[in-house]
Amino acid sequence: MSKELAFNPVVLREEVKSKYRDVAINPSGEYHFHTGRPLARRLGYDSALVDSMPDAAVESFAGVANPFSLRSLERGEKVLDTGSGGGFDCFVAAHQVGPQGKVIGVDLLPEMLEKARKTAESMGLKNVEFREGLLEEIPVEDGWADVVISNGVINLCADKKRVFSELWRVLRPGGRLQFGDIANGKPVPESAIRNIDLWTA
Amino acid sequence: MLVDTGFVDIQISQPHDTFGEARGEKKARLFDVYGYTFLARKLG
Repeated sequence: MSKELAFNPVVLREEVKSKYRDVAINPSGEYHFHTGRPLARRLGYDSALVDSMPDAAVESFAGVANPFSLRSLERGEKVLDTGSGGGFDCFVAAHQVGPQGKVIGVDLLPEMLEKARKTAESMGLKNVEFREGLLEEIPVEDGWADVVISNGVINLCADKKRVFSELWRVLRPGGRLQFGDIANGKPVPESAIRNIDLWTA
Repeated sequence: MLVDTGFVDIQISQPHDTFGEARGEKKARLFDVYGYTFLARKLG
């Protein structure tokens, strides 16, 4: 499928890494998207829960919707967050599934993983784990997850067919996929698709 | 693509004005870009 793409997926991935590395290191910087607590409010997250979290848990949040708005998680569920960033959605998930549940966050950026791990430790969350990996090769065994969540990440992946195949693989039969992402109502011309800057800025 | 992969019981939320008042608002409006929540189930 890669040879059919209108752009270089490796270049796209490096652009994405560069942009979101900035969000990890400098969460209060100016970006083309909202971040942090204002974004969580805009997307309708539970304000009491968000207010209870430390700044480090929320400040690098850069999602595009609320994966929990159509269905809350159930106590004890095993949840995989693909593209977990600074860990905000993992921390929301950990709250919903409780100590009997388990949350794994997967992200490609070491800077985000380090931040998420430190924050989870500071929050005393024993059931949240972060792993380095790509959505095209998710480092989780077949059928592990009761629920897969994601937020604003699938649109940044060049090979979406492969990503959805991986999401299917890691879900158990009957499991749920609940994710936030963007969609365009007007067609995007080929010239814009080839413009990597439009993917990330 | 959800359907092609085999997911069923697909639900899509109302749109979120994800980029409203952000620096990327102009580009988002150009292509009518909004955020959505998707829910689907793996048959089993």
